[in-house]
Amino acid sequence: MSERSYRALSLVAVVAVAVGFGFAMAAPPERIQGEFAKIMFVHVPSAWLAFLAFGVTMIGGAVWLMKKTPIWDRVAASSAEVGVFFTALALLTGMIWGYPVWGTFWDWSDARMMSTAIMFFVYVGYLALRRSIPDPETRARRSAILGIIAFVQVPIVYLSVTLFRTLHQGATVVRADAPIDPVFLRALMINLGAFTIVYAAFMAWRVRLARLEDELEETEAVADFDIAGSGITAPNLGEVPGDV
Amino acid sequence: MRYKWFVLPAVGIIVLVLGFMLFGGLGDNLIYYLTPSEAVDQQADFPDGERFRLGGLVTEGTVETTVEGVTFVVTDGDRSINVVHTGAPPQLFQENIGVVVEGAWAGNHFESDTLIINHDEEYRAPDDEGAYIPPSEN
Repeated sequence: MSERSYRALSLVAVVAVAVGFGFAMAAPPERIQGEFAKIMFVHVPSAWLAFLAFGVTMIGGAVWLMKKTPIWDRVAASSAEVGVFFTALALLTGMIWGYPVWGTFWDWSDARMMSTAIMFFVYVGYLALRRSIPDPETRARRSAILGIIAFVQVPIVYLSVTLFRTLHQGATVVRADAPIDPVFLRALMINLGAFTIVYAAFMAWRVRLARLEDELEETEAVADFDIAGSGITAPNLGEVPGDV
Repeated sequence: MRYKWFVLPAVGIIVLVLGFMLFGGLGDNLIYYLTPSEAVDQQADFPDGERFRLGGLVTEGTVETTVEGVTFVVTDGDRSINVVHTGAPPQLFQENIGVVVEGAWAGNHFESDTLIINHDEEYRAPDDEGAYIPPSEN
């Protein structure tokens, strides 16, 4: 991809988010929740994109284990990072939504909230693991395995509202009778599309950055660099006055 | 294959954590609240003063504002319990909405000091049926 196509994709993402925002603002207030229900248009796409991102991390890891080509490790790593961003956004918007509507930011015994928080920290752990292993092949292998195992959390988070009695409401859109009026559903789907383009744009830039990082790492490994600070000589202070 | 020492414990820990989450002690915690029917059936397990959470719908026509807070009847369609709540309820509090109250039995009524709204997963436009009333005018 050329520099121009990266910029074009970013521009499309910005325009899509603006269109999504317009549809969200044009939606009427919900009958019970009023304007607070509008947070749905950011909260729900964020959560779904986090699921998608962690799915791509799993697939990237699995393909790397089979093919051992660096691109798949970069895809997996980049997607985990973007997924952590969307999970954080879902948690944050959930708290902002919960405060006026439920009357609380957070509930420590709610299965959806706790499982999402655990998922967030496990993927932060995935990113920490990557930074703790210097050897690219070892790093890619261990990350791929963690990325595959960690994905079991996605169905757990998704099903938490069905399996347990929670403060968080159950699923709306996937219910057979989808109890959502078309005006809200349309705005939600447009925002989901916009967030998907944002994901694609983040991924394009992040994978490119990962490739450049890898190239730099290889260059540094072969170059005979002086160690940091070797260009500086210690100043000669002579005798320090007052020194005994 | 140096990575194997790392993989086995990692898999083990994740399986243990998930197993504990799903089937272990946290499971009791994840019950989250008792319905009015369960609360009445298990009243012997929760003597006066023993705190638990009670969840259900606010029965129409039972909401009364008091000096200290609000009183109402919470129901699951089967059993109903009188709730005496101390404190200001959240702004979405109204008839026919889901609530979770935290407190304890006090004789045959429930005394709560924490009230949160447990709204459902429906999203309805105001003109579908009935006019939309902003929360501030309730």
